[in-house]
Amino acid sequence: MLRVGPLSASTTESMGTEYQRIVRRRILILSVLPIVLFVTVIVGTFIGTTGPIGPGIRTATGEIQRISFEDAVDAILHGHGNWPFDYHAIFWTQRIPRVLLAVLVGASLACAGTAMQAVFRNPMADPFIVGVSSGASVGAVAATLSGLAAFAVVGTFLTPLLAFCTALLTVFVVYRLGTVKGKVYVDTLLLSGVAMAAFLGAIVSSLIYFARQEFHRVIFWLLGSLSMQSWTADAILALTVGVGVLVIFLYSRDLNALLLGEETAHNLGTDPEALKTIMLIVAAVMTSAAVAFTGVIGFIGLIIPHMMRIVVGADHRVLVPASTLAGAIFLVWADAIARTVISPNTLPVGIVTAMCGGPFFLYLLRRSRVEGEK
Amino acid sequence: MGSKRTSSSVRRVWTVLGVVLTAIIAFSSGYLVASFTQNEAVGFSVVDDYGRTVTLDGIPDRIVSIAPTPTEILYSIGAGSLLVGVDNYSDFPEEARLLTKVGDAFELNTEMIIALKPDLVVCGDLVPRQLIQLGETQGIPYVILADRTVEAVFKTIRLAGIITGHVDEADQLAANLSERVNALTAKTLADGVSKPKVLVETWSWGTSISTFGPGSYGDDVIALAGGTNIAKYAASEYPMVESEFVIAQNPDVVVYTMSSTTKDAIIGRSGWENVTAVQQDHVYSIPDDLISRYGARLIDGLEQLAVTIHPELFP
Repeated sequence: MLRVGPLSASTTESMGTEYQRIVRRRILILSVLPIVLFVTVIVGTFIGTTGPIGPGIRTATGEIQRISFEDAVDAILHGHGNWPFDYHAIFWTQRIPRVLLAVLVGASLACAGTAMQAVFRNPMADPFIVGVSSGASVGAVAATLSGLAAFAVVGTFLTPLLAFCTALLTVFVVYRLGTVKGKVYVDTLLLSGVAMAAFLGAIVSSLIYFARQEFHRVIFWLLGSLSMQSWTADAILALTVGVGVLVIFLYSRDLNALLLGEETAHNLGTDPEALKTIMLIVAAVMTSAAVAFTGVIGFIGLIIPHMMRIVVGADHRVLVPASTLAGAIFLVWADAIARTVISPNTLPVGIVTAMCGGPFFLYLLRRSRVEGEK
Repeated sequence: MGSKRTSSSVRRVWTVLGVVLTAIIAFSSGYLVASFTQNEAVGFSVVDDYGRTVTLDGIPDRIVSIAPTPTEILYSIGAGSLLVGVDNYSDFPEEARLLTKVGDAFELNTEMIIALKPDLVVCGDLVPRQLIQLGETQGIPYVILADRTVEAVFKTIRLAGIITGHVDEADQLAANLSERVNALTAKTLADGVSKPKVLVETWSWGTSISTFGPGSYGDDVIALAGGTNIAKYAASEYPMVESEFVIAQNPDVVVYTMSSTTKDAIIGRSGWENVTAVQQDHVYSIPDDLISRYGARLIDGLEQLAVTIHPELFP
């Protein structure tokens, strides 16, 4: 019986028909996931406070108004706005860029999380382990509290820009701390990341403490939300996430080798030091860019790779694309819930990802353990 | 036999209910009397805005305020001289800035409060645990001054008057403000006056907009100013809504708090181009304090909002 617990390398090559079955299953999952993502994006675009899938809005007179499916399709395809609603603006400036942002951010977090878990060979590793989120928090909170973020043109991109810079700076410091003469010491890196996060967390707390009246703004960032969406954000992230996912995918065979130990990886023709450095840089750039726009959306980068490992096994050639797609799908749905569950109010999506994902993951984890014992 | 038993038990229930009701009436009338009896020498009781009965030994002469609104209210009825300490955010009127700071409702400097030897602490909507503990361990009573409607502001002002012994000033101020509100609503709520749809934005994050929902004083202010709050059916008092909701509600007027953003930023928001308020250039600012504090200045905020929504009524 195949055991597919977290981080256990697949050892199925010798098991004839069993192997065939697993390969078929992987092909099935890899062909189904893109279709699910496609459907998710379409359905996600139709979900929202104003409908067509959603509770609708109560107008001044108290009646419920909801966009019909026909109007929605018309607005999306032909750009027609039908007053009194500006349908066109709702879809093309709000929903669609937001759903795409969810796709990109979910994909980047899950993909980077997969790579980090392999590099650190630690099931608790996530994309934020080397200080991305705490670093970005300092920049974002500083930008927000400075009051500059509220202003037009500059403000819109000031927060993400500052967050991106402080995130990369933090990762660089942590990386330097964990590297001696070109050798990356994973355990030192991990501890440096944790200590750095605590230190920067204290800075963030003190910034918040001294400007507490701005706390409500900061909390949105710390909880993670897709409200900073725009086509520009989508374009920037499409580039970073596209390149990042591609690079990690191209190194998936090396990540497999790394799981067998650095010695073995070396004998298999992989340079573990170079691999670790490349993975860290790619994951850091990719997630810093994502986090800069959305704030700290927890859970996805940690849990989605584990979920997919339970489903498709630990072979990174399958795991990397599967996690990437699943992360995207998961975040679109989580955001759809965040936008409509207490409509017209909106929730920070980070609350939803943790609340829905946590129990589901516990279920999967328990089931895979129980089946493994059979 | 069955019916006999039923009727006797029914009678017993009525007796019990009667006793309980009498007791309630007796007690509450006692409180009512208590809340209007006051005497320098003898203690008196008041019922605060959370319905708590607070007994004071006499008119307090050392008061600590831990929120900006109670501070403003005390000054507005001429009782500011009783204040010996205020929270970090109490910045109005100017004199309040000079008083000893005792932290804020999130993190009180309890040592400082004890050192100030207050005989009363007044607080707003946020009642910190530390304050309750101070009451229990140090015997320092606290009164909550918080309200949710414009009408309740008058009640709170009168309550502050009773507590501080400035009853006449408080009554006069309340009557004055009430008169201003009546004069205003005579115009804004008159028959035939339109009710434009209004968004009052307190702060925003990306496409998420924070505003006033049902049950908040902001919602009440918008209604009295002759507008229709687009978020009046939201799910909470201070909801966060998406831009998509605003676009669909299509407000005629957008009012934002001065410190939160700029007019250019609102006009430049993606997807807001066809919102009536943006198209017709009805985007206005309001000073934060006039809409975020519920003391006497809330009426200033109400008047300013009314002029913003209905410029035609106030030539």
